[in-house]
Amino acid sequence: MEKPYILHLLTTAKNLSPFDVNMAMDAGWVSAVPYTNVEPSEVRDLVQDVIFSRSPKGLKRTGIFIGGRDTKQALDMLKTAKNSMVPPMFEVSVFADPSGAFTTAAGMVAAVEKQLDDSFSAVLEGKNVLVLGGTGPVGQITAVLAAQAGAHVKIIGRQLDKAQRIADLCNNEFGDGKISISAGVDSDKADYIKTTDVVFSTGAAGIELLSAELVATASQLKVVADVNAVPPAGIAGLDAFDSGKPLANSTSGAVGVGALAIGNIKYQAQSRLLKKILESDEALYLHFEHAFEVAREFIKSSK
Amino acid sequence: MPKRSILHMFDPMPNNSPFDINMALDTGFEVLMPYHNVKLESIHGLTQDVIFSRSPSGIKRTGIFIGGRDIGLAMDMINTAKQAMVPPFEVSVLADPSGAFTTAAALVACVEKELKEKHNKNIADCTALVFGGTGPVGIATGVIASLAGAKTALVDHMSIDTANDAAKEYNRRCEATLSGEKAGTDEEKIALIADADIIFCTAKAGIQVLSTEVLSQAKQLLVAGDVNAVPPSGIAGIGANDNGIVLDTPLSATGIGALAVGNIKYQLQHKLLELALESKKPVYLDFRDAFSTAQTLV
Repeated sequence: MEKPYILHLLTTAKNLSPFDVNMAMDAGWVSAVPYTNVEPSEVRDLVQDVIFSRSPKGLKRTGIFIGGRDTKQALDMLKTAKNSMVPPMFEVSVFADPSGAFTTAAGMVAAVEKQLDDSFSAVLEGKNVLVLGGTGPVGQITAVLAAQAGAHVKIIGRQLDKAQRIADLCNNEFGDGKISISAGVDSDKADYIKTTDVVFSTGAAGIELLSAELVATASQLKVVADVNAVPPAGIAGLDAFDSGKPLANSTSGAVGVGALAIGNIKYQAQSRLLKKILESDEALYLHFEHAFEVAREFIKSSK
Repeated sequence: MPKRSILHMFDPMPNNSPFDINMALDTGFEVLMPYHNVKLESIHGLTQDVIFSRSPSGIKRTGIFIGGRDIGLAMDMINTAKQAMVPPFEVSVLADPSGAFTTAAALVACVEKELKEKHNKNIADCTALVFGGTGPVGIATGVIASLAGAKTALVDHMSIDTANDAAKEYNRRCEATLSGEKAGTDEEKIALIADADIIFCTAKAGIQVLSTEVLSQAKQLLVAGDVNAVPPSGIAGIGANDNGIVLDTPLSATGIGALAVGNIKYQLQHKLLELALESKKPVYLDFRDAFSTAQTLV
């Protein structure tokens, strides 16, 4: 009998996300086992219980998924998990995607990259980017991925000190000190929008972050994207199904990408990473950068 | 359609151990159902819900696994589960908190075999020390060694009270004859190991308990066994894969490493789960069964 594929799903939250469970099963994992309310300090013991209870052959059919809500915590848990392995024999792949934020952000940035190329023959490098409602998990990672692609990124929040704290966290923790995201306050966005090329809207569902009037004043706006699928949209005039449709009220010919178009790429990225850790012969440690790679691959392959 | 096999995993901890999950799935249980934060008071009700919800033929494809970190609680739970059975409505129950019973059984069985084969000595004629002796694996190791006849002490690195309390509790529970010792410093360790024939090391992973210098003072030592697979090993000179390596001690003691023990532990837990899955008659398996089965495996 072949050993079954077992994915151990760790979350600091009270419950797993059914989204992740369905995705894991559909990617080919036979058993998806939940571990809830996990403390980061428990990761080491859990991981070592995983690796010391199957033969190296069985471990190739074993994986760990890290969920939860907090970006930094999930990345720290991923690091702890990696450091708890005893290679080369006792090691399994680990994939972190807290709140789906890594794959959502990856899907969004990859979709925008495609629209920049398709409609403006442009790239993210050198562009001015605003991440509205950008202090949450999706906003943080969106900012990091755009900055890593060479864009000038500003995280916008309702309070400047919080936005600044998040920007520092992104630069130092997630970007290894190699990126320099700045921070701005929401009340100043009318100023910023005049010189903005790309807007990501990553705020809470059902709140409009960019009005029709502000869209009209954005004279170099090229692409807007919104992860909010609950009306009203985060960006006025954008529909959840839009994928490269000209944005109403834009005076610069900007196009929009809505939540469902992003969701499709997110779904593909998460599915591919879940399959990757299932199929890989060597242990992989996957986070937002890998999510971005597979999101780009998916977009390339679907052209 | 044949009924699928189900293992109900009762655990007093917030989560089940991934170790037990992997093992149970690898044994062939088709459905695992985790139950977290289970209290002793809940065991009776949970057990009766297990037995009264399947026909006697389905019940044969049903088992209960008791995990956790506290071996006393696990023993209370297996007893309560047993009392809750209503024959013919009865299922097999296996207790192995933190893998402690199977790890300890494998460790003692490996050491017993090594004693006989290399040193022509019976465990019943030996004095044994269990370093890291107040954790789950340490206590289970001490109990098994003591019941096998060895004069055994549980050693705590911090407190003599902790060691004595554990010894007293498990002497009462298991009719063992354990004593307690404390050894934190190298001086204390050297004094303690002077007349030990056997040393078990069941301390936390990644911590070296006995250095080469300390070990060289173990005048009577014949066999040492270590369950720590994460470097550095608990006993200097014993690598995880070693099985009978000669150590630098006055009597050229031999050492058994974590993966040699782990290999037997793995087979043992597999075997016990298989018994629970395939046995025609319900079985109740704790550390005593674990040790007698481990003896047949080495």
